[in-house]
Amino acid sequence: MSTTTTNDVAIEYRDICKAYGEKSVLEHLNLRIPRGEFITMIGSSGSGKTTALKMVNRLIEPTSGTVLVDGHDVRETDPIRLRRNIGYAIQGSVLFPHMTVEENISYVPNLLNKHDHERTRKAVRTWMDIVGLPCDLLERYPSELSGGQQQRVGIARALAASPDILLMDEPFGAVDEITRGQLQVEISRIHRETGITVMFVTHDIGEALRLGTHVLVLDEGKVQQYGASEEILARPATAFVEQLVSRQRHACDLPEDQLCACTHSGAARARAALAAM
Amino acid sequence: MLAQSWDLLVQRWDFFWGLLLEHMEICLVAVLIAIVFGGIAGILISEYQKAAKPTLAVVNFLYTIPSISMLGFLIPFSGVGDATAIITLTVYALLPMVRSTYTGMTNVDPAIMEAARGMGGTRMQTLVRVQLPLALPVIMSGIRNMVTMTIALGGIASFIGAGGLGVAIYRGITTNNAAMTVAGSLLIAVLALVVDAILGFVEKRMRARGAKSHRTNRRLAIGAAAACAAVALGATVPGALAGTGGIIHVATKPMTEQYVMGEALKMLIEHDTNLKVELTEGVGGGTSNIEPAMESGQFDLYPEYTGTGWAMVLKNEGTYSEGEFDQLQAGYQELGMSWVGMYGFGNTYGMAVRKDVAEKYNLKTYSDLARVADHLTLGAEADFFEREDGYDALCNTYGMSFGNTMQMDIGLKYDALAQGSVDAIVIFTTDGKLSTADATVLTDDKGFFPSYQCGNVVRDQVLQQHTELRGVLEKLQGTISEQDMARMNYEVEEEGKDPKTVAEEFLRSKGLI
Ligand SMILES: Nc1ncnc2c1ncn2[C@@H]1O[C@H](COP(=O)(O)OP(=O)(O)OP(=O)(O)O)[C@@H](O)[C@H]1O
Ligand SMILES: [Mg+2]
Repeated sequence: MSTTTTNDVAIEYRDICKAYGEKSVLEHLNLRIPRGEFITMIGSSGSGKTTALKMVNRLIEPTSGTVLVDGHDVRETDPIRLRRNIGYAIQGSVLFPHMTVEENISYVPNLLNKHDHERTRKAVRTWMDIVGLPCDLLERYPSELSGGQQQRVGIARALAASPDILLMDEPFGAVDEITRGQLQVEISRIHRETGITVMFVTHDIGEALRLGTHVLVLDEGKVQQYGASEEILARPATAFVEQLVSRQRHACDLPEDQLCACTHSGAARARAALAAM
Repeated sequence: MLAQSWDLLVQRWDFFWGLLLEHMEICLVAVLIAIVFGGIAGILISEYQKAAKPTLAVVNFLYTIPSISMLGFLIPFSGVGDATAIITLTVYALLPMVRSTYTGMTNVDPAIMEAARGMGGTRMQTLVRVQLPLALPVIMSGIRNMVTMTIALGGIASFIGAGGLGVAIYRGITTNNAAMTVAGSLLIAVLALVVDAILGFVEKRMRARGAKSHRTNRRLAIGAAAACAAVALGATVPGALAGTGGIIHVATKPMTEQYVMGEALKMLIEHDTNLKVELTEGVGGGTSNIEPAMESGQFDLYPEYTGTGWAMVLKNEGTYSEGEFDQLQAGYQELGMSWVGMYGFGNTYGMAVRKDVAEKYNLKTYSDLARVADHLTLGAEADFFEREDGYDALCNTYGMSFGNTMQMDIGLKYDALAQGSVDAIVIFTTDGKLSTADATVLTDDKGFFPSYQCGNVVRDQVLQQHTELRGVLEKLQGTISEQDMARMNYEVEEEGKDPKTVAEEFLRSKGLI
């Protein structure tokens, strides 16, 4: 995606603190996200992930510190212009209930260009295809969709205007394991092909490690670790991270026919238990 | 009763249909203004929350003002007639509109609003594309309530001389025609129900989703808009066309005899001249509302009573007697008005005794009555016993004291007199029932009661503009005696005749038309 700045940092948090009254939600967050990165954020509920995310498109203002997008302080940027360049897939996929799927997805393109309806129409169908929704859903209203379908519409809506930055807040929370796999593949592909910078919040460490070029682990408003997936997996920085990745560290990637060769695998233990009966 | 009302509706459908149209027009205008301004206000206060509380407090306050007082406050500013009615209805419609808009707008799921903001919509785009459509169901149900309420409240419009079905209700009440009151009320109820059903249908259509129903909705909306435009056009065009010849605006008070005189004036003026008469019948509050409208030129002519003019308009103290007519006329000249065409009857307090009592004691005057009052029982309304110039003053003037007194409702006095439970009653000299009562009206030989001779008060400007008018009004001079008027009142109130018919018969009998 073209940009006039020579700066190759897409998003930067400079000593961000956020407190609601007495309660501190984010403490001294410092983070630079280079253009084209895929950052996954993980952490327990209430750790400040959504808060950090919404600071990028100025839905939340920090108590202190500065957020820069494309090298510009967001406070000095027109929020409307800022947001139109940032796709936002909201936690819980909040669709507009009075609009059809088609109207929802074309919401942002329609805000931007009011004339080229044909282009928007085509774009909507392309995105429907990418997120794996059949086109006969276009006329439906959100209340007539399943939770997973709604989430996919939410993703399509976030991407429809081809933004430079994509914020995704638990976008795959309500889809089944298999669809989730497909969507993960799709979002990776979109990221690869468009070079879009992605911030992706998830509760699933597997997903975080698989998708992220870098992973940010948050707990109680404090950064526990920020690094490449391998680094997180190989050298957990704190007890919290260690606990988070322990399953992944123990996971073994033996092919199906060799699973029982490792006596610690679930398959081998289950077989042993059956034999003992 | 219902059958009577039904017959009346069928017989006089043109009359009711006209009122129904007027009613719809007045309500439609008020509702549209309220939707636009109430809607805008509701949206604004949902955007600028700080203004919400004071604004809602103000509209709440306006809402608590009784409608009658609201009309009273407004008359000095906007006069009698449709304008005041529409303003009043609008004010009452504002509260439900502002409140439902505000509630609808603020109750939109904040998560959805944040999503819309996060997508990069401007405030205006978010408002128009997301917030307003989502608030619409709440706003719509507010509108539905508001419209029903406005239609019902529209019934009071006639109180201040505006049109609408209230005219029938009010006329029914003042001329003792219950069937007419019921018919008017029924039509209001039916109108409210029908409109509510239509709006319910609109609500349902709006909730219907999908491309096909959207297309149908668009067609229905266009049809409805066209229908509204047609009604509005039908309302304004004839009015605009009628403005060619001279129009005399005649007002009457809410009294049976005034309904008759109004019709007679209209018929006679239109018969003798090229002038058109626009009749505003039964203006609530009588003189206190008609007189200011005369001064502002809204009305040109109305039948008034000398004593009332003397006390209420010229604000003179003391009892008026016809010897002071020149002073009265002079006082009115200063207001730019004249008394033209004194009908010949007075509508004043009087005293009547049963005929056998009159014969037994040979009673002709109040002084005669005073001699024997202690043997007699007097019946009168509560009001007469309370007012300063009422019972006590009468007794003082004539040195009379009744053996017994009874308070009774105006409608029961004549029955009580006939049955013998009272011997004398306080009457109005043109009471319809007096014309058939077996009673003798006594003479007020000391002139205790002020004189209330009936005549036309006309604006001088109109008399100059339409010189032919004076001659017409003078034809009415001395044409109606108190007995005549009482009989005509009787025909309307007790025999259920239409005031117009009675007026026509009267004019014919006098060879005036
Ligand atoms: N408007 C607010 N007022 C007060 N506290 C708030 C507000 N918004 C968020 N918080 C608090 O801030 C903390 C961080 O919230 P945030 O939404 O960022 O959590 P999260 O990491 O996204 O959690 P989850 O995984 O459950 O979505 C929470 O403890 C929450 O209660
Ligand atoms: Mg969250």
